[in-house]
Amino acid sequence: MIQAYTILLDSLRMLRANKLFWVSMWISTFVALVYASIGFTPTGVSVGFGLAKFDMALLREGSKEAETFYLLIFTDVIARFWLGWLALILALISTCSIFPQFLQSGSIELVLSKPVSRLRLFVLKYLGGLLFVTVQTSLFCLVAFVAIGLRLEEWSVSIFWAVPIITFAFSLIYCVGVLIGVLTRSTVFSLLGALLFWALTLVAQWTEDLTYQFAYLFPAMGMQMNFSTGQLEDTTDESAETWKKYHAATQTITAVLPKARECTLSLKRLIRFRERPSLLTGMDFGSVYAGGDMDPVVKQAMEKRELRHSWLALITSSLIFELLVLGLAATIFMRRDY
Amino acid sequence: MSEFAVDLQTLRKRYSNGVEALAGVSLQIPYGSIFGLIGPNGAGKSTLVKSLLSILRPTECRGTMLGKNIGHKATLAQVGYLPEHASFPDYLTGRQVIEYAAGLAHLSRSACSARCDALLEKVGMTEAANRSIRTYSKGMKQRIGLAQALIHDPVVVFLDEPTDGVDPQGRIDFKHIIASLRDEGRTVLVNSHLLSEVEQVADRVAILSKGRIIQQGLVAELTRRESRYEIKYLGEIPAPLRDWCGQREMSISAHSITCHATDALAIQPLIDQLRASLVVICEIKEERYSLEEFFLQAVAQAQADPSATKGGHS
Repeated sequence: MIQAYTILLDSLRMLRANKLFWVSMWISTFVALVYASIGFTPTGVSVGFGLAKFDMALLREGSKEAETFYLLIFTDVIARFWLGWLALILALISTCSIFPQFLQSGSIELVLSKPVSRLRLFVLKYLGGLLFVTVQTSLFCLVAFVAIGLRLEEWSVSIFWAVPIITFAFSLIYCVGVLIGVLTRSTVFSLLGALLFWALTLVAQWTEDLTYQFAYLFPAMGMQMNFSTGQLEDTTDESAETWKKYHAATQTITAVLPKARECTLSLKRLIRFRERPSLLTGMDFGSVYAGGDMDPVVKQAMEKRELRHSWLALITSSLIFELLVLGLAATIFMRRDY
Repeated sequence: MSEFAVDLQTLRKRYSNGVEALAGVSLQIPYGSIFGLIGPNGAGKSTLVKSLLSILRPTECRGTMLGKNIGHKATLAQVGYLPEHASFPDYLTGRQVIEYAAGLAHLSRSACSARCDALLEKVGMTEAANRSIRTYSKGMKQRIGLAQALIHDPVVVFLDEPTDGVDPQGRIDFKHIIASLRDEGRTVLVNSHLLSEVEQVADRVAILSKGRIIQQGLVAELTRRESRYEIKYLGEIPAPLRDWCGQREMSISAHSITCHATDALAIQPLIDQLRASLVVICEIKEERYSLEEFFLQAVAQAQADPSATKGGHS
């Protein structure tokens, strides 16, 4: 217990000394405050705690769409782009050096000469790296929780699902950085490798999503894309079948990859509000602007698209990937001579 | 219980690239002694220490440390270590480095707190303890490194090049601290290039060359083993006596004869011969080899005849 406390305390001290951590923290706080500053007036939206006001009939105070809009800012913009993208990149830049620095000659010997098992050391050091994201997301969620509570008078603790989900999504990429860091002892290789891997998984998942849309979503709406003209046309069975084959192929590839992006997107399923099992499921900014009056067939198709991967499958396949990568990294770490 | 803190029957380390860093090292370090491990660069000194501390995985290892098989992790709670070129996280203060080491060694915060102050005092770092490591000189880092190696009150302490980068005053301080560790009953292994320092502080030494122990034993015995006597005289040495000296590998120069001998008894026949030849003896002086001279000679011999290894007296 003393050892675990010591290693985690050291990780916190390392974070505290990391300038990028504070830069990221300040940006997080700024984004959270901007979010908290958004309000609704009888005629529209206000920003900066009432400093700037915009007339928008749809998003006036007390409307259902305004509430939806406010929550969508959190799940579709902040969680998706800030917490799920930019903050994670900053976190990777800051944490990919942890293992290479730890494995430096003269540093690792000090720790390995102590009565601490290499596996415990590896796991605790890894968890220490995750603190970067956990601390930031927790602070952010706290501000968002208060903001949503005050604005919508709904104190939903489900907001805090963002902490484990974003941390988990980060860990899926970070584990690759750790593996490369342990293998090469190079911060540069670790960071570039993690970012490259992340990019590859994103491309694979975007491709899977796109082929799904052509294979299932568009046909459900009675449409298909004509790539020679770039126009949407009435769907044909033949075209849909072709796209289904492509989708099956891409789905096979993405099945074994970690799903950091989808985990972040799945936050919408977990954030729940009063009298609505999941307020935002099947909704996006487009549907908000459409007044929520979406064609039931289209809405059902979009819901089906969002829910096509079960929560269990998302977590399980990603977790298996992470455990395999970490297992390999831990084995190398434990068996190596220093 | 064994009389040795470290009792190593055999230790071999062959790296995956085929390099044999240690070729069956046998070593015994008695409790409460200061043991110097010396050898040229690449001899395998650090590999030996790292193998004993499980930082490296030996190819073959038979032996015990503090009565437990080498590699027994829990035993490391009683072992302190200052590695060569120790590198500490620069976001920590000197005190935090020591606390970090204490925590890894299962020492509670309260126990650490009391001991930490005493150790900072001992290594002369009380005033700078709360400053960031990045502001420290190399010598200050070594002092903190020594303190972190001692924070958990170890029975055995391994110091790998402890005075590397330390100024002359610091080296004197280190020498006194190492001697005080022995006085406290600890066993200390010092791995150093600075043979004069090892000679001043160590009770025993082992010379490692190309992964083999080529000499080991008490410092006093090893240096005495190669001692010589110089006899200064007046007048001329008669030819028969010159021949007599030549047959016994004694060298004669103008007014002095040098005789390699381990003790004074061995030169008595020469004295008798000189007096019988009516040569006036002015002075008889015993000259011992320094550890450095002994080391150079031993390494040169080992390089000339790699198969020759000499076990020392325990």
